[in-house]
Amino acid sequence: MPGIIGRDRFREVADAALELPGADDVEVLFLHEWGGLTRFANSEIHQSTSREDTALRVRVAIGGRVGVAQANDFSPAGAVVAARSAKEMADVVAPDPLWAGLAGPASFADVDRFDEDTAQISPGQRADSVGGLIAQVPEGYRAAGAYETQAMEVGVATSTGQTCWGPMTQASITTVVTGDEQASGFAERFAGTAGELDAVAIGATAAGKAVDSRSPRALDPGTYAVVLEPNAVATLVGFLAFIGFGGRDYIEGRSCFSGRAGEKVADETVSIWDDASGDGMLGLTFDFEGEPRSRVDLIRDGVFVDTVYDRRTAKQAGRTDGSTGHGLPSPNPQGPFPLHLFMGAGDASLGDMVAATERGLLVTRFHYANVVNPMESSITGMTRDGTFLIENGEIAGPVRNFRFTQSILGALSAVSMIGRDSELASEFFFSASRVPALKIESFNFSGASDH
Amino acid sequence: MLDIAQAAVEAARRAGADAADARVGTDETESLTVRNQVMEGIDRSTSTGIGVRVLKNGRWGFAATSRVEDDAEVARTAELAVEIARAAARLPGDPVRLTPVEPATDSWRSPFAEDPFTVPLEEKVALLMEATHKMQAAGATFAEGMLDLFRRSTWFASSDGAAIEQVVTLSGGGIQATAVGEDDMQRRSWPDAFRGHVRAAGYEHIRTIGLVEEAARVGREAVELLSAPECPSEVTTLILDANQMQLQIHESVGHPTELDRVLGMEESYAGSSWLKPGDRGKVRYGSPLVSIIADATLAGGLGTFAYDDEGVPAQSIPLVVDGMFENFQTSRETAHVVGQSSNGTMRADGWSHLPLIRMTNVSIEPRDGSLAEIIADTPAGIFMSANTSWSIDDHRINFQFGCEAAWRVRDGKLAELYKNPNYTGITPEFWGSCDAVAGREDWTVFGTPNCGKGQPGQVARVGHGASPARFQGVQVGVRG
Repeated sequence: MPGIIGRDRFREVADAALELPGADDVEVLFLHEWGGLTRFANSEIHQSTSREDTALRVRVAIGGRVGVAQANDFSPAGAVVAARSAKEMADVVAPDPLWAGLAGPASFADVDRFDEDTAQISPGQRADSVGGLIAQVPEGYRAAGAYETQAMEVGVATSTGQTCWGPMTQASITTVVTGDEQASGFAERFAGTAGELDAVAIGATAAGKAVDSRSPRALDPGTYAVVLEPNAVATLVGFLAFIGFGGRDYIEGRSCFSGRAGEKVADETVSIWDDASGDGMLGLTFDFEGEPRSRVDLIRDGVFVDTVYDRRTAKQAGRTDGSTGHGLPSPNPQGPFPLHLFMGAGDASLGDMVAATERGLLVTRFHYANVVNPMESSITGMTRDGTFLIENGEIAGPVRNFRFTQSILGALSAVSMIGRDSELASEFFFSASRVPALKIESFNFSGASDH
Repeated sequence: MLDIAQAAVEAARRAGADAADARVGTDETESLTVRNQVMEGIDRSTSTGIGVRVLKNGRWGFAATSRVEDDAEVARTAELAVEIARAAARLPGDPVRLTPVEPATDSWRSPFAEDPFTVPLEEKVALLMEATHKMQAAGATFAEGMLDLFRRSTWFASSDGAAIEQVVTLSGGGIQATAVGEDDMQRRSWPDAFRGHVRAAGYEHIRTIGLVEEAARVGREAVELLSAPECPSEVTTLILDANQMQLQIHESVGHPTELDRVLGMEESYAGSSWLKPGDRGKVRYGSPLVSIIADATLAGGLGTFAYDDEGVPAQSIPLVVDGMFENFQTSRETAHVVGQSSNGTMRADGWSHLPLIRMTNVSIEPRDGSLAEIIADTPAGIFMSANTSWSIDDHRINFQFGCEAAWRVRDGKLAELYKNPNYTGITPEFWGSCDAVAGREDWTVFGTPNCGKGQPGQVARVGHGASPARFQGVQVGVRG
């Protein structure tokens, strides 16, 4: 079984690149990933995988001219080859006027996010857990899903004196239970360790939702009050990050928040921030440029505060306090991105939200969302795997899936209740964020499907 | 490298595998992004490793490692694949049945005239600098030019005795102009959205796509969109440009005809399909003008190869013939469900992933006439070009796509320009309303280099031959 390579060996390999002759500055980003995934469908394990890979990504700067090369040959020789290739590219380009240099010495929060048991979990242990999940599925129903365990170590070393290194693990179980009469139910759980996952409970939740969703009735599209479970909220938050919270889009007038600092953009109960060090979050506390990941308030009490920055974008913005520690692996023309999002919890239970809804929809999750108009923060997507009509404060029965086309900020401005529990929830395209359930008084469903 | 793949297969057999195959692979990329004549990203990457797939007790196991030069590590990886298959067999289920394939010994390279990796960097940089300069001069706030070069070398060996070496070379490039106004942002791109037009070709492809020649127009159109009205909301006749047709085909024909989706194997992630295994020859997918083929032999297609990642020869499969659904895209594991042998669509995202059914080059067959003739034949409607957004449900029924630009069609002519156009529909109804498909002269082989599927997530490079086409009674201008 693969294991941690370690800070010392990383630094030893990185040094071979950092000593490249003729370069002003050199940065080495080291990624080492290993893990396994047990995938199941039709209540059988059908695809089970394991993989290990390393990457050395070397950025070379000469007078502001920058080139990058990556190789997965983790050795001093591999590092030298990548460094030379990066220099070859730097030699032929013009200086980047926004070049902000490399990270210097800085400390970062010491948060232990590595679990040896998760890193070393066996295929048999994953299979047994999947078996426990599938056992919750009633006769006539089928479970599909995946149990994934991942371990990673990341290192950044710069010729300007910064060395960061850290390991992390994460584990997730996702399942969809389906049956006749268009029954479909979903459940998932993300965590830093496999020990936090209860496969039986996840299976029972999805199975219960599938049974409850049999024979959904067709309902006309239109504007409804909605109760969104955390996974559906994660879609809204993930896309808002994609189209709005990146510093580059913001300062270039391409974000829905451009020019709106200090403006009310959501209900005053809504707060969203990014915090890699926060409780219950996954990941490391330094970014891919070796900068400490700072907590950044994005929306506080409904008011837009700021976006996130990497070194280059911070220079572009003229920020005196530099990067917020949200750089992605270079080169990254798209700019920085928040990978550790939180939405503040409230005081309501899901039951409270349903009870407070005269007529509306309970949405388990959204599917395949995409941007309609980034400047209006509008996106479209489908509901999936458990959509229910609420009438007079009670679940009245399942309904067929809807297409929504909705401004995210419009939805967040119509939030009336916030769940007291937050969950790490994934989005189809982005990383997981920690979010609560929401009740939103007005949400636009623009079309419907046949199931 | 082939000897390493063969050694891995032998190690898997020694560990108890009933059947095994192994792929050693090397991916090489070079990517350049210039924005407003500033080099924003220039990078190269290489990745080498081996993936070993085994069948044991009727279950798959797959393991991959980058430490391909280490014999012991390769053997350990093969043994791990067997352990994974054994673990899968702890749960009950129908054993995997593979349809037979004749083991091949072969070597194949995708053709190109000019190796894109040997063209001097200076020349590539200069091309993008000039293109972005022209877009800026035309008023674009942000002018971007992109080149993406890719080469995958694969050495495949199987316990059946197959020994196949393949090398695929792809070249792509594009330009994009962004105009920023008061609370608005508009984009135009050429010759395709999302980093341009990628083909299985060498640098000669880059020399033909007009990145400099079209730059001023692209820049101008982005600026014009800022002052254009929003695309109205109405039900109308819709004409789609070929560059949008490719994605319409991809999402609403390519994916739903993948047999693994139909059989529920992708249910938990991207979803299943509105088609059922018994639908071949019985379901009307579209109007009689709609014929769609999955052709892994198409010249220039991103889904072109000699053998798939199970060693099955490349094939040309009619999916929809004159509007009737005829065939699924299949694998050795799934083909027996529909009483066939594999039609060769299993591909993996490099050495570190298990092969999945991936569309090859799924193309609409050209019919007659040109885009200009279709527009001239349309009394009233909307013409849309270049994708910005895509969304489709988990059964591939309800879709909504956004485009960069639209024009009113009035009395057979293009009239006013609209911004933020989109349209929505239901797959069989939409294709059923197709009443014109342009002919060969406007048919282009596009590449989609970012098709996502599977867990862990995989990205595939797939191709689409597409002509402009016309559809009736389509809802356009969906607003939030």
